[in-house]
Amino acid sequence: MSWINVKLIFLRELRDQLRDRRTLFTIAVLPLLLYPLLGMTFLQITQFLREHPTRVLILNADALPAEPPLLDKQQKRFHVAICYEAEGKLLQLTVGELPEKESVEEFARRKVEGGEFDTVVYVPAGFAEHLTEFRQRVQRDDAALETTADGTRVESLESEVPQPEIYVNTASDKSRIAFERIDRIVDRWREKMVEEHLRQNNVSIAATRPFKMQVKELAPEGQRRAVLWSKILPFVVLVWALTGAFYPAVDLCAGEKERGTLETLLTSPAQRIEIVTGKLMTVMTFSMATSLLNLVSMGMTGTFILTRITSLQGMPDPGELGPPPLSAFFWLTLALIPCSALFSALSLAIATFARSSKEGQYYLMPLLLGSLPLMLLPMLPSAQLDLGTSLIPITGVLLLLRTLIEGQVWEAAKFALPVIVVQAAGVWLAVRWAVHQFNDESVLFRESERFDVRLWFVHLLRDRRDTPSIAEAVLCGVLLLMIRFFGSMVATMPETWQGFVSLSLITQIAFFATPPCLMAIMLTRKPLLTLSLGRPSFWMTIPAAGLLALALQPLTRLLQTVVVQLYPYSEATLESLAPLEMILRDAPLGWTLLAMAVAPAICEELAFRGFILSGLRRLGHKWGAIALTAVFFGIAHGILQQSILATITGLVLGYICVKTSSIWPAMTYHLVHNATAISAARLTPATLEHYPFLRYLLQPGEVVGGEVAVLDFTWLAVGIGTALALGIILWLKSLPYRVFEEERLQEAIDRQDHPMEYVSSL
Amino acid sequence: MIHVRNLSKSYEDLRRGPIVALAGITFDAVAGQIFGLLGPNGAGKTTALRILSTVLRPTGGSATINGYDVVTQPAQVRHQIGFVSMNTAVYDRMTAWELVEYFGRLYALTEEKLRERMETVFTQLKMNDMRDVLGAKMSTGMKQKVSIARAMVHDPPVLIFDEATSGLDVLVARALLETVARLRDDGKCVVFSTHIMREAERLCDRIAIVHRGRILSEGTLTELRERSGEHDLEELFFSQISAEENRHRSVDSLPA
Repeated sequence: MSWINVKLIFLRELRDQLRDRRTLFTIAVLPLLLYPLLGMTFLQITQFLREHPTRVLILNADALPAEPPLLDKQQKRFHVAICYEAEGKLLQLTVGELPEKESVEEFARRKVEGGEFDTVVYVPAGFAEHLTEFRQRVQRDDAALETTADGTRVESLESEVPQPEIYVNTASDKSRIAFERIDRIVDRWREKMVEEHLRQNNVSIAATRPFKMQVKELAPEGQRRAVLWSKILPFVVLVWALTGAFYPAVDLCAGEKERGTLETLLTSPAQRIEIVTGKLMTVMTFSMATSLLNLVSMGMTGTFILTRITSLQGMPDPGELGPPPLSAFFWLTLALIPCSALFSALSLAIATFARSSKEGQYYLMPLLLGSLPLMLLPMLPSAQLDLGTSLIPITGVLLLLRTLIEGQVWEAAKFALPVIVVQAAGVWLAVRWAVHQFNDESVLFRESERFDVRLWFVHLLRDRRDTPSIAEAVLCGVLLLMIRFFGSMVATMPETWQGFVSLSLITQIAFFATPPCLMAIMLTRKPLLTLSLGRPSFWMTIPAAGLLALALQPLTRLLQTVVVQLYPYSEATLESLAPLEMILRDAPLGWTLLAMAVAPAICEELAFRGFILSGLRRLGHKWGAIALTAVFFGIAHGILQQSILATITGLVLGYICVKTSSIWPAMTYHLVHNATAISAARLTPATLEHYPFLRYLLQPGEVVGGEVAVLDFTWLAVGIGTALALGIILWLKSLPYRVFEEERLQEAIDRQDHPMEYVSSL
Repeated sequence: MIHVRNLSKSYEDLRRGPIVALAGITFDAVAGQIFGLLGPNGAGKTTALRILSTVLRPTGGSATINGYDVVTQPAQVRHQIGFVSMNTAVYDRMTAWELVEYFGRLYALTEEKLRERMETVFTQLKMNDMRDVLGAKMSTGMKQKVSIARAMVHDPPVLIFDEATSGLDVLVARALLETVARLRDDGKCVVFSTHIMREAERLCDRIAIVHRGRILSEGTLTELRERSGEHDLEELFFSQISAEENRHRSVDSLPA
């Protein structure tokens, strides 16, 4: 890859975009206008709500007690003692009488729904007298109250006083605000009443509040503010990073296709990877610029509005609402780089697929919806940075960012590496995908064709090729995972070992072996070649594969221990696995081996190293195909800890299959691998006493929970096994093997030095 | 210069099944000659030239340009050619000068060489008055001139023109043909595809008549005339095509 070309393409695309008014508007003008506009509107609304007086109708105000007063003498406003000057201005009081023939509710409904008043307060007749009577009775019964002290008496006393009523329509904002304002004032009025009552009884007001909980804040103010911002800012920034990446990406790929300039570029000496990288850098620049400009504009508007609101309310500095700390901006900008890179690469790959800008726009929504969960996950209260979450793209970065903004630098440093590695892998995959699209002439010169499911199906069956296509292989993988997922939801845990054996056999045959075999027969011309069922290139590879499995057993076991230490089994998983272990303890070894070694070796290999690997080898990179197959194989194992180990084992199995051009050695490896693991689990320290020479290879493992633990391999066993395995792998590496047409072509293109007669069978 | 051997290309179509766009064509083009691909629309000319420009991959056969294989050495091949077609547009938001400069840099010309070549090309094509015109403001003829300048800037030994005169008025088309002829005189190997008889007749040293992805006949104009006994190229072309069509029809009507 020539970086000079990348730079040339980058600079050209950048200039091209900057000359486009639409792009400039979206990335620069829009954010600069949008937030101030939004802010002004918000401010206007709050001011309107604040300054807009509420109209309140008070019915039967004559029944109010004289002391403490609710209204002032003219009955034009609430009494100064319970209503501040500013509050009073916002309450337009009208005192009225209830018409004789109407009920209070009917009257209030008419007034509120008619819009004449926002709320209606009704004071029942004789309210003042009843209150006085109530007070006197309470004074009389004080002694009795103290003895019962269960509150029932108070309640019965209360019910003797007719209650005032407030009529409110909560469906209307105005009415609800009116209610809230009145409610605050009535609360104060009631407190006044209590105060007076206490004074009459010579009780200090302090008696009502014997103590108050002292709140001691542990977090410094900066951090409190940081927490609030660390939840809001990353989300906003990322949504803009994605939007800012998408539009230029569509213009740079689908737009170029539409304008016919893409073919011009493709006939220039610039290689596809250089074109993609150059375009990626452009898209990334715009993604980051959009995001940062939005951030700045939002920050400035936000700060301005906060100060305005604060000054309006005359409140003291609302600690948690202050502007975000400067360090937050720094970390945010830093975290923006990997996120922008990922979004840009994804957008680019998707935009390449689109025929026209219009089609490109359609893909924004799915992309946005697809990445939203990853952006929202870190906002959950329980989400925190650990090894598990750090391995999720975007989410990991956001959690890392939050930890940094909160000032826990050391905590963040621990997980920085996995976050960066995962994010980089995501970017790399997306870039590879985009390059693949640029190499795919069916994508570059795609013409509108009416899609027809029936025709497509006929085409699949009619125009079969010798081995499956990449898409068919991926489909098979996804299908297997889906069947497994739904199957495991339906299946119940067997209670006997016989039940377990038959369930395993059914699962293996029906879920793993049948779909790929059917697909191989229906979708390919040479099912035996597809499933690699031919004889291996060298018969010796079969025993060699078995020996390799045996030799790698100690290392696998060690790896298992490491994985379980890194990702301990959860309580729930252990609980669900416990009955299975009990069942298996009783099962005869032969049946267990049939269910857990023979069947998986045959069925899983047919699916993964058979159909899926054959299809994926059309990628042109054998290691890419092996790795992807291994990932499918890993995910199919369900439990995280097993998935990791299965993925690693899948790499070995894939390599064996590719190098021997046959599935039989892979099946042998799988069989021996599972069988050894199962048999080894049955060995106990007693076995060592019978066969003392085994002591060199095996030792009693850690004792957990008082049970006799299984045997572990000694370091000597690990060393010998690994050395032997390396020898076998090197021998395998030296073997000639069947290279796929696509792989040969890719190799030739990578070298660009060997003219080659290229004849492929379509 | 260009050796094409049994080159074929087929692709799949949902409705019609596998479509054969090129059914094994073979030809050679040498330096100092204009090789014409003459054929009706959909004959496979564009497919063949796209394969030569490494944008498409053949499904069979081989093609080398100046010794480089179009499949396995696409980057080297692209250095050897200048490609102008109706599908290779110019950038809207770039001036003529910027565009040619950009491609010159992609061809890894040194700054000095680039300046020199650009001055030559702009003068040769009489483009000096449109240096600073943006692509969006150019007429069709101006755009085609810029495309040719873009294809010539690195002084490639091979130039490929695919239906380069389509959409141009008589004056501009004539100027373009003159440019192509001059390129031949400079010793370039030129491949020129067209469906216009007059152009082929006037310009091409060798002509291949292409139809349904096959070369029906190939040779100098004199050779073609002698072989068929027709003097007029249009008549010659028409009789060849209809003979082929008749053959197809009789094959199709055979009982299965």
